Amino acid sequence: MRSRRRNATIAPSFWRRTHDYRVDRILSASLRVSRPFGGALLSLALLLAGCGDRSAGPRGQAPTSIKVGTAVAADQTVTRSLRDMPRTLDPSLLTDVYAQYLTDDLFEGLTTLGADGSPAPGVASSWETSEDGKHWVFHLRHEARWSNGDAVTAADFLYAWHRTLDPKTGSEYAQALAPILGAFEIATGKASQDALGVSAPDPYTIRIELVAPTPYLLALLSDSFMQPEHRATIERHGDDWTRPENIVSNGPFVLRELIIGDRITLDKNERYWDASSVHPTRVVYYPLDQVTQVSRYLAGDIQFADDFPSDQFRYLKALLGTQVQTAPLLAIDQLAFSLLQPPFAANRNLRLALSMAVDRDVLANKVRQGAEFPAYTLVPPLPGYTQALPEWASWSEERRHAEARRLYAAAGYSREHPLHVQLDYDTNESSRDLYDAMAAMWRMNLGAEIEPYNEEFRVLLQDLRLHKSLLFDEDWVGDYPDPYTFLQLYQTGFDENFSGTSDPQFDALLKAATGESDVAHRYADFTRAEARLNEDANYIPYAYRAGRHLIKPYLAGWRLNVLNRIPSRYLYVLEHEGR
Amino acid sequence: MLRFILRRLSIAIPTLLVIVTLAFTLLHATPGGPFDTAKHMPAAILKSIEAQYHLDEPLWRQYLRYLGSLLRGDLGPSFQYRNTSVNELIRVGFPVDVLVGGLALLVAMLIGGALGLTAAVRRDTGWDHVPMFFASLGVAVPVFVVAPLLILIFAVQLQWLPSGDWHWGEPRYLVLPVTALALPFIAYIARMTRGAAIEVLASPYIRTARAKGLAPTTILLRHALRPILMPLVSYLGPAFAGVLTGSIIVESVFGLPGIGRYFLVGAINRDYTLVVGITVLYGVLIIAFNLLADLCYAWLDPRVRLQA
Repeated sequence: MRSRRRNATIAPSFWRRTHDYRVDRILSASLRVSRPFGGALLSLALLLAGCGDRSAGPRGQAPTSIKVGTAVAADQTVTRSLRDMPRTLDPSLLTDVYAQYLTDDLFEGLTTLGADGSPAPGVASSWETSEDGKHWVFHLRHEARWSNGDAVTAADFLYAWHRTLDPKTGSEYAQALAPILGAFEIATGKASQDALGVSAPDPYTIRIELVAPTPYLLALLSDSFMQPEHRATIERHGDDWTRPENIVSNGPFVLRELIIGDRITLDKNERYWDASSVHPTRVVYYPLDQVTQVSRYLAGDIQFADDFPSDQFRYLKALLGTQVQTAPLLAIDQLAFSLLQPPFAANRNLRLALSMAVDRDVLANKVRQGAEFPAYTLVPPLPGYTQALPEWASWSEERRHAEARRLYAAAGYSREHPLHVQLDYDTNESSRDLYDAMAAMWRMNLGAEIEPYNEEFRVLLQDLRLHKSLLFDEDWVGDYPDPYTFLQLYQTGFDENFSGTSDPQFDALLKAATGESDVAHRYADFTRAEARLNEDANYIPYAYRAGRHLIKPYLAGWRLNVLNRIPSRYLYVLEHEGR
Repeated sequence: MLRFILRRLSIAIPTLLVIVTLAFTLLHATPGGPFDTAKHMPAAILKSIEAQYHLDEPLWRQYLRYLGSLLRGDLGPSFQYRNTSVNELIRVGFPVDVLVGGLALLVAMLIGGALGLTAAVRRDTGWDHVPMFFASLGVAVPVFVVAPLLILIFAVQLQWLPSGDWHWGEPRYLVLPVTALALPFIAYIARMTRGAAIEVLASPYIRTARAKGLAPTTILLRHALRPILMPLVSYLGPAFAGVLTGSIIVESVFGLPGIGRYFLVGAINRDYTLVVGITVLYGVLIIAFNLLADLCYAWLDPRVRLQA
C-alpha cells in the first residue's frame, strides 16, 4: 500500500526517483524479513484495531478511552514491564540492565538517580572534592536505615565494594570500580584488598582516592555495583540472601515476591529515610518480550511498558498518541571494520566510501519509522560535549554519494569488480531490517555486494575475539555519561577493540583527556580524539538508539533519561476512569 | 504385566543415559560459554567463577560429576540465574505447566472427542462439515497467532479476562492460556476421532450389533468407543509429555512462570545444567507416558499381549 502511493508521486529528478524507488525496496525488504512473531501480531492488531475503530470513534484513539483527573489516586500500585528476567538481584553479581532497574528501587548508593536521571544525594547528604579531582570525601546521613532498622554506615559500603572486587565473589562487573585507586589490581588478583583507595575515618564519612580525575564519579556511585550491602544478611544466608524472605535493603522499596518468569513485586520501604516522598505503595515488574508488553499494556495490565517492537512505532503512535514516548539513549549503533586484514586494512578510501554511502536519515526515519536518530559520529549527544561531526555529514545526498563513488573507485573497486564482504551481526539484535537496508544502499550507491549474516551472540563474540570477522555489528551501550565510555572502544589494547584499531595519536589524546581535571578541557581533548577517529573511518556509526516506552496517561512523575533508568519512587498514579 | 513394566523400566535407564550424554556433549560443543559477556572479564574473576561451577575441570570429569549429582536427584546450579538451582526452577515452574497443560489436554479430549464422534455419526451433514472446517483451521493456525488473538479479543477489546500473569487458585488467569493451548489439540483429536470412528463404525461387528437391534448409543459407547480410542492413545502419550514440559509460546505470550521457555533461554545462554536438566525431565516423561500408553493399549484391546 505504501509503495503504491509513493510511486504515484512525481519525482523531480533522476536521483530523487531512484531514491524513492530504493526506499520502497528497502521497506518491502524489511517487512518481508520482519520477525514472523511480531509481524503476525502486528497484522492481527491492525486488523482488530480496524474492527474496533468503527464503534470506538475516529482513528488514532486508544482502544478504550481513558479519563484522567488531577487528584492523586487512592491505589498507588505501579505496574511496569522489563524485557527480560534479571539473572540475580545481588548488586555485586548482577550484569543486566533489568537488575539495575530493580536495584535502583531496592538499594541506594552514596548518590542516587534524581527524577531527571542525573545524580542526586543518596545515602551521602554532601561531599567535597580536591583541587586535582582525585580525592573525594562523602558525608553520610545519619538517618539512613536498612529495611531491618539497622543504620546504614560507611562499613556497609566498604564491605560491598570489597566483596565486588574479591575475585572469589566472581563479579562479572568488578572492573567497573576501576576508577578507584587499586580497584583494578584487586579485581585482577594482582593486589590484596588493602590496596583499595577507600577509607572510613568514622562510620559516617567515606574517603575515596581515584586513579585519575573522574567527573562522572557521582553517576557511577548510583550504579548497582557501588550500592551498600548488609553484611550480616549475606553471611547468614549466603547465596540465598537476595530471596524475598531474607533480603535486607536500604532503598525506597523492599522485595516482596520474586517468581522467575512471571513477576517481581516490591513494597514501599517504610524505613527508608525519605519514605515520605515515595509515592507508590507497591510496584510490580513483569518480565515480558517486546510483543507481549504491547498486548499487556493495551489490556491495561501494565502502566509503564519498558519497550515495544520498533516496527510497531508508527502504528502505536497512531493508536496511542502521546502514550508512546521515546528518548535518546546512551548508546551507539555502529558497524566496525577489521583493520588487521584485507580488504579494509590500510584502505581508508574503501572504509570511508562504505560509510558515506549509508543514508542515515532513511535508516532512522523510514526503516525505523522515526523511532531512532541518525548518527554520523561515535559519541551520542551529551550535555556540554561538542561532537566531532565529519564535514560530509551536512552534505546533500547527491554530493555524499558522488564522493563515496569516487572513493570506492579510488580504492580499486567498480560495478564490474565489486567488493564482496559478509556483514556479521548478532541474532538477538532485532536489526536485520537495518542491515538489509544498508546492503541495498551499498549495492545501489556503489555496486558493492555486502551480505548480512547472522550468528548467535556467543558465536559472534568468539569470531570477534579471534578477529575472524571483517565487517561486524558493534553496537555499544555506554556505562556512564562520559565520552570515554565510547571512545575507549578504539583504544589500543582495550579488550573489546575488535577492530584492532591502534593509533598512537588517538591514544595520546585519550590519555591527555582522562588525566585532565577540568571538564571543559577534558571534553575538548575527547572531541579531538573523536575527530581523529572519524578521519580514519574505521567504523560506521549510523544510529543513536532511543528508549521506547508506552506510558498510561494517568501515570505521572516520570522523566525519560539517557540511562533509561526511571526509578519507581518518583512515579505516581492519578485518578482515572478506564485502563 | 509386572514383568513387562520392569523390563521397560530397565530399558529406560540406558535410554536416559544416552539422552544425558548427548545433551551434555552437544551443549558443551557449541561455541561460547555461559560466562562469555560482551565486556571482558579479568582472568582472575573468570577463573574464580569457573571454579565455582567446576567449568575449569576436564569435560569428562564435569560429566561424571554431573551424573553423580543426577543420581542424587540434584540437577545442579543454573548458570543463567545465579544463586538459583535447576531443581528450584523446575519445582516452581513444573506445577504450572502440569496444571495448564493437563487442563488443556483434558478439555481437548472432551471437546475434540465429542466433536469427532458427532462428525462421524452424522457424516456429511452440517455436524460434520462445520466442526471439521474449524478443526482444519485449528491444525493450520499456529499458537503464536491464536494466543495474541485471544488476548486482543478477550483482554484488550472486551476486557473480560486478564492478558496474562499467574496466580495460583485464580481460574480467570487459566482461561486464555488453557484455551490457546487446547485449540490445536481439540482440532487434532477431533480429526483423529472422526477418522477412527468412521472406520470402526463400518466394520462387520458393528453391523452385527446393529442387526441385533441394539440402540445406536449403546453401540457407540459400549462397542465402538474402545477401538476408536486406540489411535488416540498412541498420540496422547507423547502429547502429554510435550504439553507438561510447557509451551514456549503460550508461556511467553501469557507470562506464565513455566519451564517451557527454559529450553530456549537456556540454550541461548549456554546454561548447560538448565538445558540438560529439562531434557532429562522431558525424557523421563516421554518414557513414562509411552509406557502408560502401552498399558492403556492392552486394556483397550484384549488382543494385545504385553511382551517386551
